[in-house]
Amino acid sequence: MKKFLAFTLGILTAIGGFVDIGDLVASSLSGARFGLALAWVLVLGVIGICAYAEMAGRVVAITKRPVFDLVRERLGPRVALVNLVASYLVTLLTLAAELGGVALAIELVTSVSYLLWVPVVGFVLWVALWRVKFETLERIFGLLGLVLVVFVVALFRLPGHGPDLWHQALSPVPTPGENWNTYWYFAVSLFASALTPYEVFFFSSGGVEENWGPRQLPEMRVNVFIGFPLGGGLALALMAVSAEVFHPLDAQVTSLGQVALPAALALGRLGLAVAILGFFAATFGAAMETGLSAAYVVAQFFGWPWGKRLQPRRAARFHTVLLVSVLLGIVALMTTIDPIQLTEYMLVFSAVVLPLTYLPILVVANDRGYLGDHVNGRLANAVGVIFLVVIVAAAAAAIPLMIVTGAGG
Amino acid sequence: MNELYVSFHLLDRQIVDRDGLEVGKVDEVELGIDDRGAPYLAALLVGPQAFGPRISGWLGRLLTGLARRLRTDRSGPLRIPYDLVRQVDSAVELSVRRDLLREPELESWLREHLIGRIPGSAE
Repeated sequence: MKKFLAFTLGILTAIGGFVDIGDLVASSLSGARFGLALAWVLVLGVIGICAYAEMAGRVVAITKRPVFDLVRERLGPRVALVNLVASYLVTLLTLAAELGGVALAIELVTSVSYLLWVPVVGFVLWVALWRVKFETLERIFGLLGLVLVVFVVALFRLPGHGPDLWHQALSPVPTPGENWNTYWYFAVSLFASALTPYEVFFFSSGGVEENWGPRQLPEMRVNVFIGFPLGGGLALALMAVSAEVFHPLDAQVTSLGQVALPAALALGRLGLAVAILGFFAATFGAAMETGLSAAYVVAQFFGWPWGKRLQPRRAARFHTVLLVSVLLGIVALMTTIDPIQLTEYMLVFSAVVLPLTYLPILVVANDRGYLGDHVNGRLANAVGVIFLVVIVAAAAAAIPLMIVTGAGG
Repeated sequence: MNELYVSFHLLDRQIVDRDGLEVGKVDEVELGIDDRGAPYLAALLVGPQAFGPRISGWLGRLLTGLARRLRTDRSGPLRIPYDLVRQVDSAVELSVRRDLLREPELESWLREHLIGRIPGSAE
């Protein structure tokens, strides 16, 4: 059983990258507007995050040093501090958005405004992060998030436009009525969300929490190569059902309820219920991931004791940052800012700081002083370098594209 | 490791105690001059007061100011004599346990006034 559950850290991490609240809506929206013409971005994102999560996981298994340790060591204090501030803000605002996402999922069931649920959700999240063991959290929400597989089932139950979908996926150009700027804006935000920095912060810190050593290298790779493709596959399924249902109608997707609609059309009430359960699990899982990551990066930058493997009183500064971050997330949402739009903007800003996180990973993964014989092979370096170029290009293009397109409007 | 470069192998590296528990970062190093006039590595300095001055400009001033306000620098940075360093690897490992070193005041303050008061903090 333990072997069977060994990949839940990878799944939970991937949920934050591919099916958190921002992605649920972004994938559906791009399916509605572009069909599957942007599906290649998800595939690219899965390959990129697999390559870098594997490097970060390897560094942890051999040296026990999580990613933000490397960031400060290799970029120096000043640049690392800039990265810390940017990454913390992105992670914090994403945490706020996820709390909103959980509350929106509950609103779908109860019809009580999500704003009333936000403080409740925030409190429950904090209690879970305070009391429940890391492995338990990871298993419950990693596995529960997999019920989103209902969208894969829905895809096969919907009356078939299979050939259309293939055609869209194989012709990666803007669909009629859309232009290249918008197309690239969507591509950059989907790519940035697949590689959001908190994924590697969380994955590598989770490896430390689970006390990985050289013997856990195979387990780490199972996490990477099962978890991320599964997460990416779920996002692809969301995009495909949306391409099937909304694209022919020229309909826009703007709310969580609309994202669930294809499951309801294909599988009735049960499909809808499972979809909403999946939204709840995925957004709550992503809230845990971002909440912990916010505290991980601060503690790791300053060298404080951190982690859920310690008693809270032995890591008082870490738990204070965690508590304050959850509170700030609640406060941010109570300003009635739209949680879905919030993540969309966050993705663009996170694209800008991505290179500051991924460069140090690539450098250290090549350092024999750290990894001995476990340094990158040729394949890992080739993929790593190519993706670093793509990441830098996306970082440079993100803000101009946002301005030119009016954020994808 | 035969040669040790202060800026590459020491500065900004994680310090852990003999059991692998986090102590802090090497925020700054202290050099001494021996009898023959040759410089040697005297101590590692840990804490925002040691770190702040390394960051020039407003960001550094903000950090040092914040540290002062958060009452973390009553007694200056934590000074770890270099004799206590057992090994410099992916982390700087000490030969003593963390409990023998002075605990940062921010940690003790937060434990006493906030975290330690929440039920379940010792589990």
